[in-house]
Formats: sequence, C-alpha cells, structure tokens
Amino acid sequence: MNIIETTNLTKSYADFTAVAGINLHIPKSTVYGFLGPNGAGKSTTMKMFLGLTKPTDGSFTINGKRYPENRVEILKEVGSFIEAPAFYGNLSGEENLEIIRKILGLPKSSVEEALEIVGLTQFKKRLAKKYSLGMKQRLGLASALIGKPPILILDEPTNGLDPVGIHEIRTLIRSLPEKFDCTVLVSSHLLSEIELMADNVGILNHGHMLFEGTLDELKSSAASSGYPTDNLEDTFLALINSDNQKRGVVR
Amino acid sequence: MSISLECIKLKRTGFFPALLCGGILAAAVPVLNMTIRWKTYVVVSGNPIQILLDANWQMMAMLNVLFIVAGTCLLYHTEYADNAIQKIKSLPVRESSVFFGKAILTIFMSTLMLAIEAGAITFCAYKWFEIQNTFWSELCKSFAYAFWLMLPCIVLSLLISQSCKNMWISLGMGVIFVFTATMLPPNNFILSLFPFAAPFQIFMNADMTWSMRFVCATAAELIVLGLAELILIRVRRWGA
Repeated sequence: MNIIETTNLTKSYADFTAVAGINLHIPKSTVYGFLGPNGAGKSTTMKMFLGLTKPTDGSFTINGKRYPENRVEILKEVGSFIEAPAFYGNLSGEENLEIIRKILGLPKSSVEEALEIVGLTQFKKRLAKKYSLGMKQRLGLASALIGKPPILILDEPTNGLDPVGIHEIRTLIRSLPEKFDCTVLVSSHLLSEIELMADNVGILNHGHMLFEGTLDELKSSAASSGYPTDNLEDTFLALINSDNQKRGVVR
Repeated sequence: MSISLECIKLKRTGFFPALLCGGILAAAVPVLNMTIRWKTYVVVSGNPIQILLDANWQMMAMLNVLFIVAGTCLLYHTEYADNAIQKIKSLPVRESSVFFGKAILTIFMSTLMLAIEAGAITFCAYKWFEIQNTFWSELCKSFAYAFWLMLPCIVLSLLISQSCKNMWISLGMGVIFVFTATMLPPNNFILSLFPFAAPFQIFMNADMTWSMRFVCATAAELIVLGLAELILIRVRRWGA
C-alpha cells in the first residue's frame, strides 16, 4: 500500500519548471530515497507535500488524504525537516520543541524523547542560536521526530553533520520503519548515502522522474541500458549525464 | 492556546519590557509637563482630563504608536530570523491564528500602556486640579476611545511586519508612517482616518458626532484590515 502518491505533480515558476509531472509511489513503512542533483526539484516536491508551495498542476494524496482539502489533517501526520533547520534562536532547544509539542497536542514526555533520540539532551537548555550547525541540524530532526509521526519528510538531513553524526542519523532513519512503523521520505544528492538507508529510490533530474524502484531494480535497469553497475554512484552519474545530454543541458 | 504559544516565543526578545517602558515613558510626559509648566494649565477653565490630554496627548500618542510599531516588528522578527515561520507553516496550525495570537498580545500590552498613562493623568488631575464626580467616567471614556482608535494601527503594523521578512524594512516603514501621521492635521476627518494618525485623536465630549464618526470608521477599518490579512495569507501561500 502506498502512503504517498502523486499524479502528474507539477510546479512551474514563470518560464521555469521545477517539477514536471512526476508520479511518486511511496510504500508504507519503508524508507524512500529521493535522489537528484542540486536543483532537480526534490525540495520543491517536499515543500508541495507540506503545503509550503502550491502545485501548478497534478495532485497528491498522503495517507489517503487529499491536498489541499485535508491540508491540516495531512500536517498532523507528517514530521518534516526542509532544507535548513528552522527554529527560534531566542529559545532553548527544549523550548523550541515545547512549542511544537503544544501545537501537536503531545504529552510532555515527547520533548525529552525527541531530544534523547537526536542526542541533544545535554544541550537542551542552551539557546538554539548558540548551537553549532550540527546541533541545529539535530534540533531540526528532533522537531520532525517529536511525537513519532507516521510519515517523515526529511530534506538532506545529514547536511552539516560530522561523520559520527551522519552515521547516527543514518542508523536512526534506517531503524524508524521497524521501530515506529514510520514511513520516511528522505532526499539527498548522494547515492552512497541513500544506498545505506533506502528500500526504494526515486531519481529526479531537472524536475523529471528518471527512475523509481528498488536498488536492485535500479541496477538491472541500468545494466539493460548499458550504464555501469559496479558502483551505484557511477550508475547515478551515468543516468544523470545521459538525461542532461538528452535535454541539451550543459553543467 | 495560540496566545500562550506566542508568549513562549517572545522569551528573551524584550517585547514585554519594551512596551512596558513605552507606557511608562508616555505616562511621564504629562507628569513632567505639569511639574514644569503647571502654572500655564491650572488657570485654564474646563474639564481637567480635557486640559491634560490637549496639552500632552500628541506626544503620548506618538510614543504609543512608535512602541507598538517596534513591538510588532519584534513579534515577526522572531519568526523570520531563523526561519521558524517555515516550521510553523508545516505544522497543523493556521497562519491566521498565529496572527490573531500576536494581535491579542499586542492589544493586551497596549491596554497596559494606556492603563499606566491613565494612572498618570489621574495623578496629574489629583495633584494639580480638582477631581470632580464625572472624572472617572470621563477618564474611562477617553481611554476607551484611545484604545479603540489604536486597534487599526496595531493590526496594520502587524500586517506590515508580517509582509516584510527584514525587520528593518517594517520598522522603517512604521517610523515613516508615524512621522507622516504627526504631520497630518488632526481636524481633517479623512486624513485622520489613516491608521497611524487616528490614535492622535482625543475623545471630545463636546462634539460627540465627530467622535462617533471615528468610532464607526475604525470599525470599518478593522474589517478591511482583517480581510487584507486573509488575502495576504492566501496570496503568500498560493504565490509561493
């Protein structure tokens, strides 16, 4: 069963199409890796799911709920982290999560739990503006994870983290479906990263969906198209380059 | 709940002390004026409240409006500074309720400012004039009128702060509007309807028609500004 489905989802800005009629199918309780180079349309797609930007055309459903009719109901079920950490700099990490807890109507213990999950308990009283980039990233993740929502939308969640932090967050994301029956949509421009986390991948380039399926399906599809398959990074690059050539894009 | 959330968001921003200081500063105006120039005013015949407001209200109103502008800028600066607004927009909360929470908070603080100022006027009337039987009802009417006329200024100020991500732009606009308002002739009804100019009006018992026209116009302004807020939210969401 697909928890997130899109039908010809499109977002255009004047003379530029950021997302061009994509059809996503994200199965329940899996990690879905959303892959693409910078500017491919990953963040725009995620923003559309959260109602932060309006689709120009097409539609999507999240957990059977249609947008925009059920916007608030959708947001109750989605934890998100988009682009960069968003927080109140004048408040401590704990106070930032307290605001989200109150909006979501969660029990008080959920703040501590979220801080514990991302390893910020020790720094919970520190003002968020005084956090390091990695700590801000963790706070952003905590605000997405608070209350263990059934759907998580994470846009490049490991940006700014040190190798240990990247490993921790990867392990955490990987464990979420099993631990909390959670569906995770995670974006990245690094295939190596997605490879370690995702059950399914969707590859986006210049707003177009190039591939959707499991990593094994990606390998076999690449092999049949004559792309290298020894290293998934090379497969991904070959796919993107071939698409760029077809579109006459020079990078 | 949105009001309690707004209170949490304002921790360490200086919003509450700033508006409180604004109220004290405005309240100091009649006290200082009377302390220095009491001889000029005690000989004037008429209602003590009217005398005191005529002598001081322009300065008091200007301080009120300036501090409201600064306060509303602070309110939205906390949302925009570290992009917290994006997180809020991705939560199941309506943007209009965020605006409403901020408006209620500013209105509450403005009421507090006016209460301090009313205290100062009472002190001056007690010390330099004779408090008559009608004093308290006159005081309530005058400050209720001032409060009502301040509402469009609060809402417009919040609208400007919400529209501009850069606090300095909204603050600059607010300051320009305040000084424009001080230059508008207070006896011109149409010009005085400008939300930043209306708070400079004084309740005049002698001319109830004039005062009532302002009361009705303010109600209309509030409806228009409320609609403008709803349109702004829609335009922002769908224009993104």
